[in-house]
Amino acid sequence: MNTTHHRRRTTGAALAGALVLLLAATGCSSKADDGDGGGDKSAGAADGVRTGPGIGAESIRLGALTDLTGPYATLGKSIVQAQQMWADEVNADGGICDRRIEIVVKDHGYDVQKAVTAYADLAPDVVAMPQVIGSPVVAALLDDIERDEMLTFPQAWAASLLGKEAIQVLGTTYDVDMIAAVDFLTRTKGLKKGDTIGHVYFEGDYGSNALEGSTWAAEQAGLKVAGQKIQATDTDLSAQVSALSKEGVKAVLISAGPAQTASLVGVAASRGLRVPVVSSAPGYAPQLMETPAAPALAAMLHVVSAAPAVSSELPGVRRMVASYKKEFPDSPVDSGVLSGYNAAQLMGADLKAACEAGGLSREDVLKAHRAQKNADTGLGTAQNFSDVDRPASVETYVLKPDAKAVGNVVNVEDAHTAPGVEEYLSGR
Amino acid sequence: MTVFLDNVLGGIALGAVYALVALGFVVIFKASGVLNFAHGSLLLFGGYLTAVLHDDLGFAGALALAVLTTAALAGALDRFLLQRGGQDAHSAHVQTIVTIGIDIVLLTDLSRRIGGDLLSLGDPWGDAVTDLGPVTVADSRLAAIVVSAVVIGGVFALFRFTSWGLSLRAAAEDLEAASLMGVRLGRVRAGAWCLAGALAALAAVFLAAFPAPGLERSTGLIALNAFPAAILGGLASPTGALAGSLLIGLTEALVVGYQSELHVLGEGFGDVAPYAVMLLVLLVRPTGLFGAKGAARV
Repeated sequence: MNTTHHRRRTTGAALAGALVLLLAATGCSSKADDGDGGGDKSAGAADGVRTGPGIGAESIRLGALTDLTGPYATLGKSIVQAQQMWADEVNADGGICDRRIEIVVKDHGYDVQKAVTAYADLAPDVVAMPQVIGSPVVAALLDDIERDEMLTFPQAWAASLLGKEAIQVLGTTYDVDMIAAVDFLTRTKGLKKGDTIGHVYFEGDYGSNALEGSTWAAEQAGLKVAGQKIQATDTDLSAQVSALSKEGVKAVLISAGPAQTASLVGVAASRGLRVPVVSSAPGYAPQLMETPAAPALAAMLHVVSAAPAVSSELPGVRRMVASYKKEFPDSPVDSGVLSGYNAAQLMGADLKAACEAGGLSREDVLKAHRAQKNADTGLGTAQNFSDVDRPASVETYVLKPDAKAVGNVVNVEDAHTAPGVEEYLSGR
Repeated sequence: MTVFLDNVLGGIALGAVYALVALGFVVIFKASGVLNFAHGSLLLFGGYLTAVLHDDLGFAGALALAVLTTAALAGALDRFLLQRGGQDAHSAHVQTIVTIGIDIVLLTDLSRRIGGDLLSLGDPWGDAVTDLGPVTVADSRLAAIVVSAVVIGGVFALFRFTSWGLSLRAAAEDLEAASLMGVRLGRVRAGAWCLAGALAALAAVFLAAFPAPGLERSTGLIALNAFPAAILGGLASPTGALAGSLLIGLTEALVVGYQSELHVLGEGFGDVAPYAVMLLVLLVRPTGLFGAKGAARV
């Protein structure tokens, strides 16, 4: 009896101790919020600019929720480095609104729970987020981001993220890219009415959105789609390839990860199924050209993407790639570098416009962002952010692997709007 | 018909690789009564070593070193961590939980090292294929079948004809009696763990070889499909593990290969199929295909 009492008392004491610690911890962090990066919402700074969270007298703080230790670590590292390079360049140039840019990076390792905690920690101190990796992460934070009016550029392109005031999908969505892919196949690879195309796709937002686009476009072109749903853990696609060859497919679309693309193309080539394969942008990474599937990839694969190849001749891209290589000589230049840098530049343009309009509060930044009808960073196509329900761009590039080029990829077709895209968007 | 043969051959190759993993599960379970949840990480560990060493040592050298190191690691984990917990059925349960901890630690570190990379293991088969009549099959797959058959044959011989094998079987039958007969349980156990580690490292090569694009952080997860194989085979029966692995490999290949015909079952059924088969088998034979019949007294 005594022991139980005693034990209970200890538990109580431990609980009380934990509570004190917790209070102390939160107390500390709220104190930190009042520091340089904090500042009250809609309060004015000395220079007359309206400020808000993340805006100090001499600094603008941006946040990044990234993956530096999980499955997208390579991508995360590229984006973080590219955006830091952008911040350094802007700061060397005198900053924005006479303030230095600081990017606060939080790693969530592709764990939604960690990401939610990281967001709660980060949100009071930053004005906007030029990087959030992971569709499930964005999905979990949707309501918080909307409530906080935190302008956010997710590194995810599912159409389900459209229609949110504070969330901006940059470039095209997966469905629009797949419509362009089907158009590319019928236009250049001789697919005709009655043919079957395969579509191998991840379960989840990414795959299902891509499938929506391919199914619609195929119907318009009189093609049949044979779908094969896979998971991120499927890396040997032999069985999928046999199923597709049994269907007699004339081409294959794939909306999965780089590992799946390599397996699909490698196996198809070895089985004599030498048909054109078109991948969504996340399905390709430069590292693939070091796998045994490299020759088959070079011969059969194309990639549809809202962004041009990093080896593209666009002056903006060349300049960016040259400085990135100088700054990070040991890091590969992949599409993450380009999309990260592009997102940072677009964010910079929003901040500049908001400053000129007299305020840097979240509301001001969001308003400035939605007023951009023709945002062009010189890193690809111009984007229109004024309609929240529409993708910011509907123009798609067609790329192709090339082991000799920077980033192991080259442009095949310049940005163009595939026929039918407007009709598709108005019917959605 | 070609498609069918394609799928069957693919299924046998997959089953052969699963058998290497499942045999590891079974050997460990027989010797120590522990279900090794860290098996996937051990496999990834072996694969990772082969991947980072093959540039310097060549494929054969790297593989040999990886197999030995993984065997040593598995043996050491058992000798210095698990065996401290004791040798009876109750502590085996505790040790099973401990393997989950080991798995988390190993996997976290390996994931950190591998990151988003696809590592090539430098195997000699590359993307070469062989035509067998109407069927085209990757050389790495044929190699998987041949190597697995030889290695598994060797392991069975080990069970049958060596004193270690005899001790292992004795220990699996009755720990106390075996111990009284002079079987050194600690050594037999550690030996079993070493063997399982070596088999896992070998399996990693074939899981990462050609039809798959290379070793990645999730390769260890694929190995968990060998888990239903071991269970439906009867968990304590090496022959059962072999049969179970082939059954699971074939099921997976056929279900995915005929996905469009099996549309009623919903898409992505291939991932569930191994477990569905396991449940079906256990419904009919609760102790598994080759499991020991429980002594039931009335």
